[in-house]
Amino acid sequence: MSKRKAPKKQQQPPVSDQALKELQNTKISGNLEETVTCIDGLLGMNADFLKRRFHVFGQYPAVMFYYSSLTNSTMINTEILKPLMYPPPSLEGQSIEDDRLKSILINDSLYHSEGQMVSSIASLVEGILRGETVIVVDKLDEAFLVRTRNLDKRAIDQPATEQVIRGPREGFIEMLETNISLLRYRLPTTDFRIETMEIGRRSKSKVAICYMDGITNPDLLKEVNKRLSNIDIDAVLDSGYLEQYIEDNHLSPFPQVQYTERPDKVVANLLEGRVAILVDGSPLALVVPTVFSQFYQTVEDYTERFVLMSAIRMARLVALVFSLVFPALYVAVISFNPELIPTEFAVAVAGGRAGVPFPAIIEVLVIEISMEVLREATIRLPQQVGGALSIVGVLVVGQAAVAAGFSSPITVVIIALTTIGSFATPAYNAALALRLLRFPLIIMAGIFGLYGIMIGLILIMNHLLSLKSFGVPYMSPYVPGNFQGMKDLLIRGPLWWMSERPSFLQPLEKNRLGPEAETGYDMLKTLHKQTENVLDPMNVQKSKGASANGESTSDHNDPSRGNTD
Amino acid sequence: MENPRQITMIQAVAILISTIIGVGVLALPLFAVRAANSGAPLVTLLGILLGFVGLMIVTLLGMRFPNKTIIQYSEDILGRWLALLGNILIIAFFAVLTSLTAREFGEVVVTSVLKTTPVEVTVIVMLLLAAITTRNGITTFAYIHVFYMPILLVPVLLIVALSFKNSDVINLQPIWGNATGNMLPGILTIAALFQGSFILTVVIPAMRQPNKAMKASMLGMLIAGGLYITIVAATVSVFGSEEIKELLWPTLELAKATSLPANILERLDAAFLAVWVTAVFTTLFSSYFLTIHSMSKLFRLRDHRMFSFFLLAFVFIMAMLPQNIIQMYTIIQNFGRIGLGITIVYPGLLLVIAILRKKRGEPVRNQVKENAQ
Repeated sequence: MSKRKAPKKQQQPPVSDQALKELQNTKISGNLEETVTCIDGLLGMNADFLKRRFHVFGQYPAVMFYYSSLTNSTMINTEILKPLMYPPPSLEGQSIEDDRLKSILINDSLYHSEGQMVSSIASLVEGILRGETVIVVDKLDEAFLVRTRNLDKRAIDQPATEQVIRGPREGFIEMLETNISLLRYRLPTTDFRIETMEIGRRSKSKVAICYMDGITNPDLLKEVNKRLSNIDIDAVLDSGYLEQYIEDNHLSPFPQVQYTERPDKVVANLLEGRVAILVDGSPLALVVPTVFSQFYQTVEDYTERFVLMSAIRMARLVALVFSLVFPALYVAVISFNPELIPTEFAVAVAGGRAGVPFPAIIEVLVIEISMEVLREATIRLPQQVGGALSIVGVLVVGQAAVAAGFSSPITVVIIALTTIGSFATPAYNAALALRLLRFPLIIMAGIFGLYGIMIGLILIMNHLLSLKSFGVPYMSPYVPGNFQGMKDLLIRGPLWWMSERPSFLQPLEKNRLGPEAETGYDMLKTLHKQTENVLDPMNVQKSKGASANGESTSDHNDPSRGNTD
Repeated sequence: MENPRQITMIQAVAILISTIIGVGVLALPLFAVRAANSGAPLVTLLGILLGFVGLMIVTLLGMRFPNKTIIQYSEDILGRWLALLGNILIIAFFAVLTSLTAREFGEVVVTSVLKTTPVEVTVIVMLLLAAITTRNGITTFAYIHVFYMPILLVPVLLIVALSFKNSDVINLQPIWGNATGNMLPGILTIAALFQGSFILTVVIPAMRQPNKAMKASMLGMLIAGGLYITIVAATVSVFGSEEIKELLWPTLELAKATSLPANILERLDAAFLAVWVTAVFTTLFSSYFLTIHSMSKLFRLRDHRMFSFFLLAFVFIMAMLPQNIIQMYTIIQNFGRIGLGITIVYPGLLLVIAILRKKRGEPVRNQVKENAQ
């Protein structure tokens, strides 16, 4: 990757609009009218652009500019206009010299925490475009830039695509600041750092790079920064744009960057030593580097108890494998190796297929493709219609296809199972990859049978094994083997087993625990040592002063017994 | 480029195991039984020992020159021109070995599963698969072997375990076999099945700690050899030596004879063969990789990728040369025995000369740094 003009972007955002390019080095002259004409010429033709003339302290002519669509007019009225029009009580009646005016205005008058003095016209215009208010006062060589941005945003909602039964219910929204606040309140520590940069010549999207200082490997952070700052496109409308530029293998069907709309997931990843990338305007945060196992793990795996979630994770893995190979396996067995399946079942399958004119591969492909069409249609249709259509599609079309002799009932069952299996994969982008790869596998199975499936699977696996995300092998921690990581691979080990951060991320701080406990197991032991059965019936008896020698009372500690006697 | 010294000891073991276990396993009991009837496991053991001697020589050489492959250090030991002859022989040998492996498995597939498919197609598919994959570096090479290793061990052990109920110990007696005279060709043939372990010459220069190579080769040989003996013993105890002589691929027949409990799959041979594609792939991949990697070293190139497809045509044509299965197996056996001269005698000579001439490679510098993972 080339290293062109990477570092300087952060300090001085590039001015790329045609008009602003000419003004890049122009400073405010002190002549009010000159400035007004200049800004007016750039923005004045817009309907929502407002220009308001007034007098500071009743004597100095001034002009205020802002976009009414981006700002809060009440705030402008009470917190900017009013204090500027009236001189502060301490200075009432005094005449103010021109050179003191500037400091009085910013230090004594302006009731706003985010105000600054700017002299470059280009940055003033950029400020207005971002929703800030500019106040230019006659004879001053600097203008005020006050933050008055107020945009409508939707409420923080349940994450739509990553729902959990047990776990936090907050999801990111489009506003970057809200999203950062969602992270910040979960991590009230100085180690949580956010670096921002602007990407997109026109959209000037704010991109936040979040990491944990002292955990995240600094080389990773540097690499993320480098890759991001090399992106020079006109607009970043979603974090997906960035993903496609920073991923390692652009042609692979497998996602090498994870996205999530759950703040808790981002925080968990940050604490493991990953880097999160948020973009203004996108409710999806990117997390790098990514390994394959992340795509079948969910937040719930960690919030619910480990035995149950290990079992559920295995079920999810089965579903994942199913969604990839099941139809291909069916085609191969039916067309090449029917002797594999038990005879009774083979007879049933053959009976079901008796009236079907096509070979198994055509039948499966046709049903698979129509299933894809149905699925796509259900996503695109308005919600009210969608529900009806999916029932019509699945039940009626499936039933009718079988009745019409177009496909065998077992094919419909197989495709239905496959489709359901592909929905069980938590990550949509990974499920999409497997969904796509199913088709070449079916074709391979149709040509070469089981041999073809194996060839296809080996190709896919070899590709996965050669993939890397920011240098981390994609199949970590299985390959290259890492014992710590295996505890969270097929099963979800108990939390006290997983006391170390994933070593493939090479975090600066390996251990998650406090300094007292060496391993999570030690901590558990201490925990057990200090556990008391406070409500044990024996203990209650003792404290009541009853027999301490182990003799039980006649009612066997069961008070209800006494009443029935 | 990736960091070249990344392969750990366990990865080296996995490479050895999955390289050694391949298509040869299918016909292995036949070779063993032909040599010594019921003494087949013994013959296998002797073959393994011979193979291990070869592997040990290669490992010792590799540890003596931890930064170089056999192509490079043979030049140090013998001088440039003499070594060139040996190197060309090595490259040619493994190119032919690759094509024979592909052909052998192609025949297996065509004979037992895809009966109407021409053998050319199955062979070229297998070779293409290997050629495409060799376009990766040595680290990915190691990852691929590690990943497939469990897939090789599980089905074999499963079939052996399931065949216990049909087995009879009497078939294995006498342990010495009946005809001790002609054991030697059998031993050589079985030792030839271990020629894939020559891949260690490429692996050692990429190992994080080359001094652990000996441990790796012992472990790899132990597991792969153990599996070989298990298969031979299981097959002979189920079928008896006389019946095996009538079978072309006794291991496949063993899979056919066993069935899973509860009748989940009525026959296991097709499923076994399907899984066995991975085993053959890893073997093929190793010998293909060894060939083109050695070629790139011979021509002093840094990158071996350009040879991946260049070699494909040659290997494919060579694979198609044998007229039929009978001829193919004659070639495989003879060729394997000759090959022992290249994989055991030649490295042995190199080792002796290296010791006599006191040649030694530079030790590895950053050997101490054992990172986590």
